[in-house]
Amino acid sequence: MKRERSKKYFWLQRLRILVQVSFFLLFFILFLQTHYPGEDYLKVTVERFFHFDPLLFLAASIASRTIFAALLLSLLTVAATLVFGRFFCGWICPLGTVHQFFSFIFKKTRLLRPPKDDRASLSSKYLVLFLVLAASLLTVNLVGYLDPFSFLYRSFAVFISPLLNLGLVQSGNLAYLLGLKSLGQTISQAAGNLALNSTFQNALVIGGLFLLAVLLNARKERFWCRYLCPAGALLGLFSRFNLFKLKIDPDKCINCHLCSTHCQTNARPYPAGEWRSSECIYCETCAAICPTAAISFPLSWQRERMQGVDLNRRRVLLTSLTGLVLAPIFRISPLRRRSNPALIRPPGALAEPEFLSRCVKCGECMKVCPTNALHPALAEAGPEGVWTPVLVPRIGYCEYYCSLCTQVCPTGAIRELSVEEKVTVKIGTAWVDKTRCLPYALGKSCIVCEEHCPVSPKAIQLIKVDTLTPGGVVATNLAPFVNVDACIGCGICENKCVVMDLPAIRVSSIGEHRSSHNRLVLPVVEEQGQ
Amino acid sequence: MERRDFLKNLLVGSLTLKLAPGLLAAPAGPDLAVVEGESPAAITREAIKVLGGMSRFISRGDKVLIKPNIGWDRTPEMAACTNPEVVAALVAMSLEAGAREVIVMDHTINQPKRCYARSGIQEAARAAGARVLFTDEQRLKKMSLKGEWLKEWEVFQDFVEADKLINVPIAKVHSLSRVTLGLKNWLGAVGGNRNQLHQKIDQAVVDLGAFFKPTLTVLDAYRVLFRNGPQGGRVSDTRLQKTVVAGLDPVAVDAYGATFFEIKPQELPFLKLAQGRGLGKLELEKLRIEKRAV
Repeated sequence: MKRERSKKYFWLQRLRILVQVSFFLLFFILFLQTHYPGEDYLKVTVERFFHFDPLLFLAASIASRTIFAALLLSLLTVAATLVFGRFFCGWICPLGTVHQFFSFIFKKTRLLRPPKDDRASLSSKYLVLFLVLAASLLTVNLVGYLDPFSFLYRSFAVFISPLLNLGLVQSGNLAYLLGLKSLGQTISQAAGNLALNSTFQNALVIGGLFLLAVLLNARKERFWCRYLCPAGALLGLFSRFNLFKLKIDPDKCINCHLCSTHCQTNARPYPAGEWRSSECIYCETCAAICPTAAISFPLSWQRERMQGVDLNRRRVLLTSLTGLVLAPIFRISPLRRRSNPALIRPPGALAEPEFLSRCVKCGECMKVCPTNALHPALAEAGPEGVWTPVLVPRIGYCEYYCSLCTQVCPTGAIRELSVEEKVTVKIGTAWVDKTRCLPYALGKSCIVCEEHCPVSPKAIQLIKVDTLTPGGVVATNLAPFVNVDACIGCGICENKCVVMDLPAIRVSSIGEHRSSHNRLVLPVVEEQGQ
Repeated sequence: MERRDFLKNLLVGSLTLKLAPGLLAAPAGPDLAVVEGESPAAITREAIKVLGGMSRFISRGDKVLIKPNIGWDRTPEMAACTNPEVVAALVAMSLEAGAREVIVMDHTINQPKRCYARSGIQEAARAAGARVLFTDEQRLKKMSLKGEWLKEWEVFQDFVEADKLINVPIAKVHSLSRVTLGLKNWLGAVGGNRNQLHQKIDQAVVDLGAFFKPTLTVLDAYRVLFRNGPQGGRVSDTRLQKTVVAGLDPVAVDAYGATFFEIKPQELPFLKLAQGRGLGKLELEKLRIEKRAV
């Protein structure tokens, strides 16, 4: 018999790769666009990808008891999956593209040798899904840790972005060293316009997890998609009709196992009848690779039964219960009683419980922040708050006229604010440390915090202070005094303080508008006209 | 040339310059041009014209660096940054005088891109033909300033490499040095931990002023900030003065600038230090000041 591969599926496979690359580039362009565009409001919906993520929609909606209008777009994904199956994973998902690219590399370099007959269970991702959804029922929002878009965006914002910036700076430096001054200038100006944030706390952990996820592709092709991804699991549950159904022509099949060996998600195209439609991502590899063109995907209206995934009722129930038990454990944190002074949230952040139920830890706010002020929390916000955004004034301050972080949050954990609203929002209060402040402690002059205070009239006022210095000499200097009512907690004072290690003026979360109990002065209405 | 001739020439030459300083710098203009008017661009142009025209300062093929104050993320109505029209007018005039390239640059305090955009300077200066560049950390070099207090500091090389420097500060109040005008504007040409300079701000300002030596200082007092300096925040912190002060002597320009805030130049320690260092003259009554209105 004549052996010939299918031309049609070869080209379909190429088309799929083209579509994947396009969506990845779109993702990356939107990622780079998530920065100060030269005007106050972003014109591009840079967080658009998140709107098409039904897992995000489902989990965040359940956890926060809210329907998100923008996330309703994800119903399109659901509808398409109902009809066509999990093509989203194979053609669109940028994280899937990353994994597939590295699987390809690992296969080419022989680091990954896929087995002929892989019987490993694929049910773990479904268990992740049920765990996340069960926790959502108890308002604990865990979806962000393994949601593919959150995972990818966070890794890019916190890990890849500083690396890109480092690369830009170093190549600029190299250009200058080589005497290519105009090239160096071009690079530095590009860096200034891109405004990539250069440093993040916990970047190593988040970057390390990303690298681990990539390296796992050396164990199994698309390891993440097969075993971990709760979004893929959700789409698997929704894939019902799979209009294009895999068919093996028994007359042509030579039982070579190439198709099942190279199936990206182990959907078992071979032997006939074992195809797991809910795992198939329609990458067309099997049909393109088949040496006799025995595999095709003809249109068929028959309803599919989910099969091959050992998801019995007992395991589903058990995981859901685990989620329900685990969720309260996330809540055992003293932060519910007393606010953490270091937990300064971005302006527009909702009150802490609502904020936590909505935040999906995607890192959009951290990427867009022009001063590198927002960082993924580690312990600041308790167990449920790992990787939620926290403002670290020592690294970056909140720019007075900027409301960018409020414009990009896909789940409204940070409420959208106009610039006019934003300048009125208090996120904390500055405190002078008189044991370190130059005029108070050393009798030296310095007004740097007052000079930088953006509020008018300034929240930092200057008072004359006498400091007794050795030898009985009294040094009189102007020294900062914080008007707590005017201070908005932006942190520029702490950021610019000349005491470099532990600044002599520091912002803590007290007085933040979003909290009704983390208050310094009770909001008593003063009686007027007396 | 014989040594004797050389010495003779030197003596004659220096005496001539000492006794008649205007001889070589003809046509000799006044020390200061103070021009008032409705249009920031027009009063800037007129001020330079009073001083003898831009071609007196810029030669054909010069690389010019214009240093406005773009320190803050504030609009022009807040009078925290130099008026964009003043900057644009200077860019245009430099190009008209034959400059090969005009760069506009400042080391900002708030996030650079935001300051460049909101101040309006990036757009205006670009439209006038300048290259508006962000400062680049890679171009910082520790240099010997030979100052009395500041011995060395990190300086952006763009300011050193330019053939001609034009300093374009805006007149504002400041809680430590009382006013921030031309001399203090040089804090935007250096890197490092600039905020430490505030521990001896008057000396720092003079040391920097002595190092940079601009060809021309053009003080923007179109809208001055008289309260809540140096960045204001409300339009009510500002006052329309509709004036531009230009001159070759940076001390004289600052001395005149102080008067916008009812401060006598003699009251400002940094001006007295600057005069003592020979950077210029602060006694306004001894200066030739030409005032005009357009």
